[in-house]
Amino acid sequence: MKGHAPKGTVKKFRMPTSQNLVPIRVDFEVEGQRFKDTFTWNPSDHDSEIVKFAKATVKDLKLSSNYEKAIVNSIQSQIEIFRSFQGQDMYTGERIVPIKLDLRVNHTLIRDQFLWDLNNFESDPEEFAKTLCADLGVHDPEVGPAIAFAIREQLYEIAVQNVASARESRLAKKGRRGGDHTPLSKASSTGLDLVKSFGHKSTVIRKRKEWDVYEPIVDLLSSEEVDALEAKEERNAR
Amino acid sequence: MEHDPGSKQLRPDEPELDLYTIPSHTSWFLWDEIHETEKKGLKEFFDGRSISRTPKVYKEYRDFIINKYREDPARKLTFTEIRKSLVGDVTLLHKVFNFLEKWGLINFGATLGRNDGFGEARITVKVEEGVPSAVRVAANPSDSKPLSATPLERESGSGSASRIALPPLVSYSNVFGDLKKERLVCNNCGGHCDSGHYKYNEGDFLLCTKCFENGNYGENKLKEDFKYNEPVEKSGNTGVEWTEAETLLLLESVVKYGDDWDRVAQNVQTKTKVDCIAKLIDLPFGEVPLGSGHRKGKHSGNLSGSKQGQLSLSECQEAIKTKSHEQANDSEQNGDTANQGPPLKKQCVTSLSDSSSSLITQVSALSTLVGPHITAAAAEAAVTILCEETSCSKEIFNAEDDSVTNGLQSPAINCETERVLQLEDSEMKEKPTESASHVAFEKKDGIPPTLQIRAAIATGLGAAAARAKLLVDQEDREIEHLLATIIGTQMKKLHCKMKNVEEIELLMENEYAETKEEEDSLLAERIDVIQKTINSGVPRWRDHPSLKS
Repeated sequence: MKGHAPKGTVKKFRMPTSQNLVPIRVDFEVEGQRFKDTFTWNPSDHDSEIVKFAKATVKDLKLSSNYEKAIVNSIQSQIEIFRSFQGQDMYTGERIVPIKLDLRVNHTLIRDQFLWDLNNFESDPEEFAKTLCADLGVHDPEVGPAIAFAIREQLYEIAVQNVASARESRLAKKGRRGGDHTPLSKASSTGLDLVKSFGHKSTVIRKRKEWDVYEPIVDLLSSEEVDALEAKEERNAR
Repeated sequence: MEHDPGSKQLRPDEPELDLYTIPSHTSWFLWDEIHETEKKGLKEFFDGRSISRTPKVYKEYRDFIINKYREDPARKLTFTEIRKSLVGDVTLLHKVFNFLEKWGLINFGATLGRNDGFGEARITVKVEEGVPSAVRVAANPSDSKPLSATPLERESGSGSASRIALPPLVSYSNVFGDLKKERLVCNNCGGHCDSGHYKYNEGDFLLCTKCFENGNYGENKLKEDFKYNEPVEKSGNTGVEWTEAETLLLLESVVKYGDDWDRVAQNVQTKTKVDCIAKLIDLPFGEVPLGSGHRKGKHSGNLSGSKQGQLSLSECQEAIKTKSHEQANDSEQNGDTANQGPPLKKQCVTSLSDSSSSLITQVSALSTLVGPHITAAAAEAAVTILCEETSCSKEIFNAEDDSVTNGLQSPAINCETERVLQLEDSEMKEKPTESASHVAFEKKDGIPPTLQIRAAIATGLGAAAARAKLLVDQEDREIEHLLATIIGTQMKKLHCKMKNVEEIELLMENEYAETKEEEDSLLAERIDVIQKTINSGVPRWRDHPSLKS
């Protein structure tokens, strides 16, 4: 079946989305000024593109050239990390994990929770974000990409965990012949108990009292609130 | 809640059923079953590979979504509304949602327009206003008391079955109604009253002029109770009336000041800047004074005067023509071209030159009285003036290598003709004395000499126009000629290319034949070798490279 790897197989590491894009977060301080940015990167792009991108960013935002080097370094190190995982195996059982959103983009605050199947290689965070913004009537065009990025980051993290767990399970297998049930339960420790949720005795319709939890909440902040929140975030970061 | 899955069929014998509309290509849908179409469109649920994707699960998703939609068929169900209520991968849920929407099982005919106001009321997102819980926003920086969050009502609807009643679908007339012009309708006969109407003083009753005149006042209404209302003008011209004096002023100031609307408006004291611009655009030649004003710099106010003169002249020429049997064909021709030459100017300026219409009628009346011979002689005089005139206009022509638009020519020529006029004024005074010898011309003295001057202007203009046309023709011919040569060269180029390509093709074919030959010969050699080895009885030689293919 397209998009879904068979149960319990091992695949080469990649982002479990239809487009293998890596979430990159750049956050550093140069000359007393903080530069923060998030975007997605295609790891199959040539490294020379990184330099080009950094140059373009510095030029567009009219920053000094010191930033350029820092940006390049940051991006490169993150991609290196991703590539180091790429050679390894990833456990791809079916796993439905909760993804949480709690982010502020300009004047919009979004809190949301939903389920995501890690094994669904057709999934597209960008499309999900687009639908979300359209359905909620969010007009700020920066919100969609921010949501998609947040989803990607979480998926990335979980995928990395999968790699780790795959390695562990291999080690465990080597130590002990037979019985591969352990890795299965370990890997889905953070996921939904599929048998319980989707089995014959249960229903996939959520209980009403839980609807609030899985509902998106959008806050529109005023400028003062935005300033206050930003100040708080900076204090936390220091 | 029961439903009717058929395509728009009404079953009158089951009045408790609610009618839901689905497109006819979805008539396969049944509540109790899962159809092949669904299985094909959403294969993931039916391949038995996963615990979380089973037909039962699919059916639950599907039924829930469709029921949710049918709680209120008029509003468009969004994915976000249902995904909170269903357990499962959101991407997969989205796929199911899209599938159902595509087949029209949901959102079929629902309000598609997303008005923000509607959106807020419709969706079940709780929009929390006020201060977020983690932030203390104080009114003043020094104030330590946080502002209390005003407890606003939440747009509830989450989880409740009752939906907020939406206003009915917006119809065309609601949206576009106020754009339509308000046509007043007569209350009596129902026709439109465009040309004034009578309004009843006591109440809300309108009568068109026809009904009023016919005496159909409606019940219990008396004639005296009606008041006459002027027809409302088009919104473009509401109340802005331009007298001729004002229009003349406007043109003059535009010519003088060009694009400087403030000064133009000042000059035309009674009209605002915007009105001036609008009026100028409305005039049929509105752009021309601007163009000529720009190019030629300052013109004296005489320009408009000479325009007037020139045109009244051409008109009177026409009048003369119609009344006389022309023998002087030249002047007739010139008169023709003069008429054709500045047609635009003629149209507009005639509206301005009403004051001179009496002169024209006088002149034409006189010419009719005078008779054909005299008018011919007058035309001859015009021709002689033209001869003197022509040299001047030729000079003008060569000096001005501009584009051949009448608008440009006329002001230029007008400038020059002014000069010429002044020169000739003295000469003109002599002319009448000359022609005074002719008996017939005695009567012509009654016609002011300016008439002859104007004749000269018009004919000069006509000559210029004719010459312009000739130039245009020549240019056209040149262009055609050049085009022909271009096309010829292109054709030759193509021919050469084709020849080249053919040659190359031949070469390729030769090469191909040669390679084939070589292949064949090689094959023959190999067969030879193998034959020889077999004949010589060499043992099996499986791995020999010569045998490997």
